[in-house]
Amino acid sequence: MSRWIAKGLKGGIHTTRFPETVTTGEEGAPSTVRVRLQGLNPAVALAASSRCPTSAISTDGSETAGELRFDAGACVLCGRCSREFPSAFTQVRDPRVAVVSRDRLRATFSWDEEHELAPVSLQATAQLLQQATSRLFRHSLHIRHVDAGSCNGCESELQMLSSPYVDLQRLGIFFTPTPRHADVLLVTGVVTHSMTGPLLETYAAMPSPKLVIAAGACAISCGSFENSSLTNGPLDRLLAVDAYIPGCPPTPQALLHGLLLAVGRAGERYRAGQEEPDGA
Amino acid sequence: MRGDLQRLAEAMGVKLEWPREDEAILRCPQDAFREIAGELARRMTLSDFFATNSSGSKPHLTAIFQAPGEPAWLLVMVELSSPSFASVTPDIHAASWYEREIFEMHGVQPVGHPALGPLRLDQLPVPPAVGRGGGVGVDVLPSPSLPRPRPSVTGQGVFQLPLGPVRSGPQESAEFLFASGGEDIVEVDLRLGFKYRAVEVLAEGQPMDWALHLAERMAGTSSFANGLAFTLAAERALGVGVSAACDDTRVLLAELERLQSHFGTIGRLADTTGLLVASAQYGLLREEVLRACGGIAGHRYLRGVLRVGGMEMLPGPAARGQLQSQLKGWAVRATGLRRLLEQTATFIDRLDTTAVLQADYADEHNLVGPVGRASGVDRDVRRDHPYAAYPTVSLAVPTIADGDAEARFQIFAEEIAQSLSVMAQLLDQWPTSEGEGEGEGVELPVRAGSALGWVESPGGETLTWLELDDEGRVVRWRTRPGSVVNWHPYAHACGSGNNLTDYPVIEASFSLSVAEFDR
Repeated sequence: MSRWIAKGLKGGIHTTRFPETVTTGEEGAPSTVRVRLQGLNPAVALAASSRCPTSAISTDGSETAGELRFDAGACVLCGRCSREFPSAFTQVRDPRVAVVSRDRLRATFSWDEEHELAPVSLQATAQLLQQATSRLFRHSLHIRHVDAGSCNGCESELQMLSSPYVDLQRLGIFFTPTPRHADVLLVTGVVTHSMTGPLLETYAAMPSPKLVIAAGACAISCGSFENSSLTNGPLDRLLAVDAYIPGCPPTPQALLHGLLLAVGRAGERYRAGQEEPDGA
Repeated sequence: MRGDLQRLAEAMGVKLEWPREDEAILRCPQDAFREIAGELARRMTLSDFFATNSSGSKPHLTAIFQAPGEPAWLLVMVELSSPSFASVTPDIHAASWYEREIFEMHGVQPVGHPALGPLRLDQLPVPPAVGRGGGVGVDVLPSPSLPRPRPSVTGQGVFQLPLGPVRSGPQESAEFLFASGGEDIVEVDLRLGFKYRAVEVLAEGQPMDWALHLAERMAGTSSFANGLAFTLAAERALGVGVSAACDDTRVLLAELERLQSHFGTIGRLADTTGLLVASAQYGLLREEVLRACGGIAGHRYLRGVLRVGGMEMLPGPAARGQLQSQLKGWAVRATGLRRLLEQTATFIDRLDTTAVLQADYADEHNLVGPVGRASGVDRDVRRDHPYAAYPTVSLAVPTIADGDAEARFQIFAEEIAQSLSVMAQLLDQWPTSEGEGEGEGVELPVRAGSALGWVESPGGETLTWLELDDEGRVVRWRTRPGSVVNWHPYAHACGSGNNLTDYPVIEASFSLSVAEFDR
């Protein structure tokens, strides 16, 4: 046993400084996709929407006018839009992509008669979480995770939260086996018919106040399985959701940002229809 | 084997076709199926068995056999004129779950099945058929309703202990009902199917690239393997090949996926035996591999890089160089950790003789992958039916006959070493002129076709049967990932003299995917 302790000590510290310092791209993979206004035109919008496997990029089908509807909550990071239309779509490497309102993941871009891009219709700023609730959870947080029909990708990344690279516990955040001790319900997957009951029972068994987080494209929008007749999702049709973490799957740091965002320990950064914020 | 099959077909009076050098189709009348299947099972292994009832094809059964050590697959196709057939389970035990699935999904009854009933949850909606375009015209056969067969344990002091479907940590949803007298596990009732999303049905009527996208998203930790099985099937169906650089890249990425999956498995095993440092060390390795995947392919789980007829990316010289230097470090650390685990009594004692799967039992169930190889099943499609760039590398397939959790640990550890060796060989022989990071692909013909694809995923042999119509859309996509086979003996392994406290070790040592089973 002493050899294991020596092994652990000799290995040194690998833990990320996130969220104090953010190293963009540290995890080697994008967190989600952002629209670049300068490269956008109706033809590109139409072509991109036909390549998008989910409803993340959709248009009304007109080549000359109309609008582009973008939804990062449905983006499964297939990479087609950013690879084929790099001037109009770009991958976001900052892991801070979680938002507290579903609308923040959506943006609509429309063109007028002269094919000029009309001002972006960003959704109104959503109100922040109730201050009192988030203050309650600022110090220690216990998570009850429910897989409501995921592919195991999200679970795999959730398991990586406990690896030394992220080390969730250093921030006072823990997974708990019992809903009675849980502050936050973290849901992954499309919410299948068979998992709806267990999910709602878990939520009911948690004491109030409680938070709900939708992690991954499936929980946010049913992602790749939006046409399956066997889901009751997305999650926010069943429960009020306090934070949305886009990704397929969300990276460990994106998950961590979402958890901190839900309890008011981190701020929102991502907007679907805005240019890259400073310093990101 | 070829001549052997021809003689058998002639003796039986059935037709044998060879659409490809390594793939034969035997058209078999409904009433002769049981006899022929029994005869074939004597010399071949039943690897998949399913029904097709899609629009655009007549309802039929397909049984897939493979010959050990022969580069040949045999598909037995039985056109159904009535919604029942003589069950082959009494002769071929491995057919039991396949027949229950056929019954559950299509209402076709295997007459004479010893324990007939649905395979997944009791209340699975039939038919599960709605495609993206708003419904596929499926001609549903009448479905008799039967309860799911479940073990019944009675006796003084026996009680039932449920675990799941909501698990204790971030794990997949499945329910295990333990029958126990206190500490021992007498019997387990597996309840799977909570996550059934009808992935295969969603692909029907869809263009190929959309179905590939679904294949990649069916199960997270074997995304690339499932996508590759689909891609290979589609390329065989259309008769196209890819460049050597694409083949090399596919194998490189497939082995990276195996590496991250196996590091995760051993890390979980260490965690269940209370070795937190060991678990953390394997967590470090796994995160490094995931980051390497992200750096090379732009996705930590290697999604979105496959293309039918090519690849969306090829690793450039810089990425290859970096990976090459990382491989050496991973190999040294993995070997060191393995030795240390082997010398840790608290680890080995928990694994030794835990959840034993005897070799004859494994053989009877036609087990695949690391679980099968730890019970003496010497099978690996990378070696037996090499695909992509596997013919160009040397690969040793480890097998152990013990069948306990320790044997499975040893197989996982040895496969890590083999994966690292395969990747190093590929990178050493990589032509320096090739690949600047850009993808490439061949022009695809638009025509009808069907073919089998196979891949050794981290969890074992994954088979995919793909049928395309003349517009290149999917008529039928059947996938049988390794976990589907390996869940079959799981309850038996849990119940063979183990305690409830062994359960986490058992689960970690099997490393089965629920999403792959449920689909």
